Amino acid sequence: MIATIKFEWRKLRFRPALFVSAGLIAALTALVYFFSWYQALHPSTGDRGLVNIATLYPDQFVNQVIGAGAIGGAIAIVLGAIYAGSEFSWGTLKTMFTQRPGRLTVWAGRLVVFSLWMGIMAAVLFVAGAALSVIVALFQGHAISWPAAVDIAKGFGAIWLIFVAEGAIGLGLGVVIRQSAAALGAGLIYLLAVELIAVRFIDSINNGAYKWIGNLFVGQNAAALTQSFTSPAFGRSLAPAISAEHAVLVLAAYGVGLMIIAAGLLRLRDVT
Amino acid sequence: MTTRRLDKPTVVVMENTTIVETHSLTKRYGSGVLAVDSVDMSVRRGEVYGFLGPNGAGKTTTLRMLLGLIRPTAGTATVAGHAPGSPVGLARIGSLIESPGFYPYLSGRENLRVVADLASVNQKRVDEVLDIVELSSRAGRKFGTYSTGMKQRLGVAAALLKDPDLLILDEPTNGLDPQGMAEMRKLIKDIGQGDRTVLLSSHLLGEVEAICDRVGVISNGHLVTQSTVQELLGEEGVLVRAQPIEQAQDFLTRMFGAEAISRQDGAIHLKTKPENSADINRQLMNAGISVSELRPFERSLEEVFFKLTGEKQGS
Repeated sequence: MIATIKFEWRKLRFRPALFVSAGLIAALTALVYFFSWYQALHPSTGDRGLVNIATLYPDQFVNQVIGAGAIGGAIAIVLGAIYAGSEFSWGTLKTMFTQRPGRLTVWAGRLVVFSLWMGIMAAVLFVAGAALSVIVALFQGHAISWPAAVDIAKGFGAIWLIFVAEGAIGLGLGVVIRQSAAALGAGLIYLLAVELIAVRFIDSINNGAYKWIGNLFVGQNAAALTQSFTSPAFGRSLAPAISAEHAVLVLAAYGVGLMIIAAGLLRLRDVT
Repeated sequence: MTTRRLDKPTVVVMENTTIVETHSLTKRYGSGVLAVDSVDMSVRRGEVYGFLGPNGAGKTTTLRMLLGLIRPTAGTATVAGHAPGSPVGLARIGSLIESPGFYPYLSGRENLRVVADLASVNQKRVDEVLDIVELSSRAGRKFGTYSTGMKQRLGVAAALLKDPDLLILDEPTNGLDPQGMAEMRKLIKDIGQGDRTVLLSSHLLGEVEAICDRVGVISNGHLVTQSTVQELLGEEGVLVRAQPIEQAQDFLTRMFGAEAISRQDGAIHLKTKPENSADINRQLMNAGISVSELRPFERSLEEVFFKLTGEKQGS
């Protein structure tokens, strides 16, 4: 197991996708902060443009950056699909499976390193958000105070879980389809279209009698978990239909379940 | 199995002389295609075994089954004393199956380092195998920029990382230019020296004839034959063209017996040692028969191969 983790980590630390994804998440965080800052200083007449500058200060940075869960989840799907699918495209699966460790050991090592990658993504998001919130506070002459460590830890854990669960969709599709491009396309179409349409349809049946089914979809739970991180500075929010505890359980089930299915496929299928 | 008696007469060590053994190994794909059909194959320790067959004959599928990459539909195989794909067995096997699978964004050296990590091999071995395949000077370049020949060499280097007892090479000269092929042939010959077993699949007959001790010929999924190259090529002989041919045949039949004589394409094939050529020439001349051609005769592996596989030469 240690050998497979070393193997995966040595590969990942040189992989351009690691730096590109980290840069992308940092750049998107910066864009969100700077646009929100502009909107806060130049409020428009409609509600749409109303941003409370207080949400951009360091004490609110966890609640602010966790809103990146949706876009970060989409990036995680892409990374999962690339991570699993490229081994098929490059023909490196046969290289991996003809060394010493068994197939499941190799896959377990890969999952550990992928989870670590998602942790790096979450860390970049948090560090970028914290740094940007300090910049805003300094420019606005606001005192710098930080959220409690436990809130930072909870927020980090939540965003990491979202990335891992949505990344597992990409991983699973990469293994099923045995290539990256089609897997990431299918993953994004699911997240951005199929799930939204399906949930809307299910919610409309019989006056919402089957809403509980809609509450089992991964995107719904990821959104509910991010919405659970809020404060009065963000204004009034509706009570979420899915509790944070429910969301954590469902997301964990998706992550673990998809990784086990992919492991089964890798173990049973021929490498041709 | 051989039995070796040690110093203490009561202790007997059983040593298996075969490193690869298959019994009725079969692979039928879901589409119904029978890729490998009841193959009984045996590779002995320390030999260079050539696995010959035309494209699509089932060579790669067989080798993938030996490595545990493909599950057989029926039959059994033992490779390096273990079931195919078992971690203990894989630790003693190096392989290059079809094109080498490496990471294009890593250098040649880094690719070997990651494989060494996975195989739990000391990193020092990376530079040793780069030296063996003469790739040290270009090991810093990214794999994606390598030529086909360099990629194949890196594949062989990766296969050697574990210092394996058994090396399985599937079409290692594929895509190489003539110089690259010659270099690869020399490399495989060097690797095959000593105790290491090399199982080499190829459809290039000259390559196999030049390198291998024994060969197995596969056609349409069947192992058609398995023997030493010498056995496959048949007994040595002498080809005689003479006039009048009937008189020459009668004369040689009296000399060597009817079972040693055969006629083919207007020439007489004589089963005898080529060293007898001078004597045959003198005796035919003395009998008033004029000899226009007299030379050692040997069948090429190509001829044997086409005969065994039913393929047409030059097709």
